[in-house]
Amino acid sequence: MNPVDLFSIATGSSEPIYRQLVEQVRRFVAGGQLRAGEELPSVRELAQALAVNPMTVSKAFGLLEADGLLERRRGLAMVVAPQHRRAQPTAERVELLRPTLERAALEARQLELPAAQALALFKTLLRDAEDDAP
Amino acid sequence: MNTVTTTPSSAGVALHATPPDPAPSVTASGLCVGHGTQTVIDGLDWALLPGQVVGLLGRNGAGKTTLLESLLGLREPTAGTVRLFDQPVATLDDALRARIGYVPQQSDLFEWLTPAQMLGYFKSFYPRWNEAKVEGLLSKWDIARDKRIAELSGGQQQRLAIVRALAHEPDLLVLDEPVASLDPAGRRDFLRELVDQVLNRGTTVVFSTHILSDLERVAFNVAFLSAGRIAVQAPLDELLETTRRLIGPAAEVQALVQAQRMRVIGRTALDAGRLQVLARVADATTPAPQRTAAVHVEPVTLEDLFMGLTQ
Repeated sequence: MNPVDLFSIATGSSEPIYRQLVEQVRRFVAGGQLRAGEELPSVRELAQALAVNPMTVSKAFGLLEADGLLERRRGLAMVVAPQHRRAQPTAERVELLRPTLERAALEARQLELPAAQALALFKTLLRDAEDDAP
Repeated sequence: MNTVTTTPSSAGVALHATPPDPAPSVTASGLCVGHGTQTVIDGLDWALLPGQVVGLLGRNGAGKTTLLESLLGLREPTAGTVRLFDQPVATLDDALRARIGYVPQQSDLFEWLTPAQMLGYFKSFYPRWNEAKVEGLLSKWDIARDKRIAELSGGQQQRLAIVRALAHEPDLLVLDEPVASLDPAGRRDFLRELVDQVLNRGTTVVFSTHILSDLERVAFNVAFLSAGRIAVQAPLDELLETTRRLIGPAAEVQALVQAQRMRVIGRTALDAGRLQVLARVADATTPAPQRTAAVHVEPVTLEDLFMGLTQ
């Protein structure tokens, strides 16, 4: 798959677009969809594909580079840094999901939803996400 | 076409090969503009730096169109000055005038002409004219070249106005509600064109729109027009990350704001002595406060900012 198609952004969120891109790259690397040496789309490609300001994409890539997740090939595209050869262990990937689920758990409590109902919804959503996966 | 060069750090990324003019593309100082006896723009100061894409936000009637027209010298200010590319706008020479592209809110196109005739006419005024771009956009956007402009749909007329504004490859692009008549697909096409323009030319762009999702995508900076002045201008990312909405009993909200040295940028009194404020943390490295027993603390979206800052 063209790596451009991996990315998507949501507007109307309190999470800035550059932050959404950063977190997506983190998840793709953790999940092994993007591995050591693999090239990311250029700033130009991604900005055009998502119709977002190129500065926003640059900012995301700059942060990921500073964090050691990506490396810049001289004059070329960004690539995934060499230490990320395979997907992270399941236990570590689960931890990446914790903040989102903590928020969901809190909201379920505020709504006084029975745990079984909340879990059933999550299961359905997981199945839907699988069907939508490219 | 220039190639994209990026610096390793995220700050100050250069997106076009030629270094931009260091002088601001637009400077307004103490600008006052009125309609009859009514003051619309009231002592406004504003600067747009080269390569910035700034979204101008304001309620209906806040004076966005008046401001944009004043920046272009289409309205006489009652006080203050506007400079474009470091020249007073009133005496702007033709060479600088040719570096400006403008899409007005109201179509002022020559309705009795065809698009081909109209573009041919405008072409004669500009030293630079990208025929390939014009042809490409007319085809891509499905604009009939030889139909009278009066017979085109509202959306097609708006697209044509955008083609006209981009044809001479402006260094400053002023867009007043450029997508109001476009459907979502048309708006996306337009946004891509804008991204291209920024990538390839480092164009300075200012545009007003009520469609916040479009603004969020392409405006790196946002400016809020309220009471005749720019109330806040900042990179949208920073505004989202440093602003919180605090809701609770007025005294407790105020105490929290003070204790955290937050800067209040919007304030709404709610009923029963409760208060809602939008406040920014003291600086970008300070974490936002946690909610307390009495005060809700929530992240904000662009819509929240719009509601809070354009009252």
